[in-house]
Amino acid sequence: MSRRPPRGEYIETDTGNKVARKANLVGTQNIMLGGKTVIQPEAMIRGDLARSIHPSSSSSGAAPGSNTAVAIGRYCFLSRGCCLRPPGRLYKGAFTYTALRVGDHVFIGPGSVIQAASIGSHVHIGANVVIGELAIIKEYVKILDGTVVPANMVIPSFSIVAGQPARVIGELPEGGHEAFELRELYKTVGNNPQPAPS
Amino acid sequence: MAPLTPYTYIQCPCSDASTLGRQADSNSPRSPDDDELDDRAFDPRAPRSNYSLYPLDYLNYCEDCQQIRCPRCVAEEIVTYFCPNCLFEVPSSNLKSEGNRCTRSCFQCPICIGPLSVTSIESPPDPSLLAAPDGAPAPHSGPYILTCSYCNWSSTEIGIKFDKSNSIHAQLVKLNNGGTTRLTAKEHRERRKEASQDRLAGPPSALAAAASNGGENNEELDLETQFANLKSFYQSQLADAAPGGSGLSSLNDLGFSSPTSLSRIMSLYTGGTVHNSRNKSRTGTMREALISDEGLQIASLDESAAIQHLHSIDYSETITTEQSTNQPPHLGEVHPHGTSRFASSLRPIPYLLRTKRSKRCPVCRHIISKPEAKVATTRFRIKLVASAYIPTITIRPLNIPSSSTPGTLPPLQPSQFILTFQNPRFETINVTLATPAKTPGRFSSKVTVLCPQFEIDANTDVWDEALKDTSDKTKLRRRGAAGDDGTHQAEAGKIWERGRNWVSIVVEVVPASLRLDLLEATAKEDEDVLEIPMFVRVEWEVDVGGDDVGTAPSRDKEQTEERELAYWCVLGLGRVGQA
Ligand SMILES: [Zn+2]
Ligand SMILES: [Zn+2]
Ligand SMILES: [Zn+2]
Ligand SMILES: [Zn+2]
Repeated sequence: MSRRPPRGEYIETDTGNKVARKANLVGTQNIMLGGKTVIQPEAMIRGDLARSIHPSSSSSGAAPGSNTAVAIGRYCFLSRGCCLRPPGRLYKGAFTYTALRVGDHVFIGPGSVIQAASIGSHVHIGANVVIGELAIIKEYVKILDGTVVPANMVIPSFSIVAGQPARVIGELPEGGHEAFELRELYKTVGNNPQPAPS
Repeated sequence: MAPLTPYTYIQCPCSDASTLGRQADSNSPRSPDDDELDDRAFDPRAPRSNYSLYPLDYLNYCEDCQQIRCPRCVAEEIVTYFCPNCLFEVPSSNLKSEGNRCTRSCFQCPICIGPLSVTSIESPPDPSLLAAPDGAPAPHSGPYILTCSYCNWSSTEIGIKFDKSNSIHAQLVKLNNGGTTRLTAKEHRERRKEASQDRLAGPPSALAAAASNGGENNEELDLETQFANLKSFYQSQLADAAPGGSGLSSLNDLGFSSPTSLSRIMSLYTGGTVHNSRNKSRTGTMREALISDEGLQIASLDESAAIQHLHSIDYSETITTEQSTNQPPHLGEVHPHGTSRFASSLRPIPYLLRTKRSKRCPVCRHIISKPEAKVATTRFRIKLVASAYIPTITIRPLNIPSSSTPGTLPPLQPSQFILTFQNPRFETINVTLATPAKTPGRFSSKVTVLCPQFEIDANTDVWDEALKDTSDKTKLRRRGAAGDDGTHQAEAGKIWERGRNWVSIVVEVVPASLRLDLLEATAKEDEDVLEIPMFVRVEWEVDVGGDDVGTAPSRDKEQTEERELAYWCVLGLGRVGQA
């Protein structure tokens, strides 16, 4: 289905996204990728769960096709087997989905399920984490493996979070901010991966 | 057991006992004790070491002192208070009156500490009816409850509902569990005043009141009312006692010219005879609270009701120690003598506020870290982190013989590790390493640093790197070629590999055998972890600019100055397996 060499594991787009052929992207027209984002095999994005109620009459003329279900920024890393799913909620008595927004330099660990309303930039989510519906995660947050973030939880910046249910267990030291940059990690995957430096 | 991930911890100078008080007698002749301290290697297993070792990320750096600073020694100052849930900033003036918790609508579940959300109790209206007349306001009306989406707890379990969906905190303060309204201390007082006015015409002395309305004297008070009663009781006692015979008001007593102040000052200098006689007369007129109106609460030690209740309820209706400690102090609580044990008495927990803090160097008082005050921003005005000044050390295994237990280091056989030092500075640095030949502790492992002295190129910026990219690559390739024919052996005195601003070297260890049977002892916790203390000395040259006033005289001759920084660190390499 592609004219690229068939053995390439990843499809590399013009904006530098590296999407694994075995990744499971549903409803791609509702998925926005900012560029330089890696989506590993078996990762799933549910773009089909787009908003079903359109605030057509009341809204101030939103651009057509603004039915984004999942928006992902630059230099994000979606590990194997993770799932990004827009959260649902009741709006004027009816059930609808709302967009899931992800910032830049966001790492999502293998097997994690994300149903947040928004995830800020520079966020590290470990393996097998569950982020409940409409949770809000601000910039510079580290979520350790196996954490369950309850629905509607707000996690402020510079938090280290763990547990079931999640609680803030520590504060991110200033010296650790650089470690959230995913530029180097981006280079290490794809069809022509570069070895990690040192 | 999960294999240990190698780690590097760095010791902050604040914990080094040998440097304490050294400055004062630096000119005096060194005692043999000092030499001993210098010779002694840092022992990462010493109980004190627990408090002085930090991962590099946690360390700050003072540019003025040119020294590492750690979370233990920096002085923190609060910049902003905010609620971690609604992210609203709380002015510090509010803090004094309202306490350190969010007073909006932010609560945690008393059962599982998950966030609580405000929900309308009314069942959602039929969506088909609603879809047609769009624009109609959502017909959500009270009552509202707090619900936990994690464990499904809701405030109906403690019988609490709210009329409005906002300012839940203010509503909750006025509600007892079960939904009854709670009187504030002021309302209590007003009610009592009305009651006593009905009962007695004359001004009742406390004792007379105690005698007359016997039954009400042990009225159960909540904490806030009790405190208010106690406070007003003792204030009136003081007011009665202070003027003594002179007839002065208590306010006048505060003035320097007042007779009481004068006598107090005199007593300070005259050995207290005046003071004593005065004090005696004063204490004579003071007494303790006797009735609940004065704040007396008799402890109810009869727990039979609680025991009776335990017979009839399920185990899940009692609370855990953790749940009880998570409970905020509740001013409406009736029973101050031991908190309740039942889930029915739990209260939603208002979120504790969080802070943004700046840090000062403990020695020179300069600010070494200062975040922007606004809650929404993550920027820092000042951020001096140690990782921008001292090299990062990463460890990875090179050559480890197979072990009986996977993921461990076999004892008595040499294992090799690669240590990579990355230079964050814009100057070339010289690194000198020193380790004890044998690690401290009961099980001494042999340590050899194959190349203890080397130079690391400067951390040139990205454009410089791009320009000299080719030369760097050839450098790397030379090393890589040696590896291709499989003979890339670690050699003593030679570095293993070198890059733009990093150098890797090889460390060889021969782990000790953990033969406990020979020692007739049991292993202590983590005694099988192979930790190497390492002394790192970093030297570099800096350009001495005109702005550096202190070095002005020597500026004419040389433009550079030698700088050095030395510190202990500990390398955790892995667990030693059984032989
Ligand atoms: Zn310190
Ligand atoms: Zn709040
Ligand atoms: Zn709960
Ligand atoms: Zn300083």
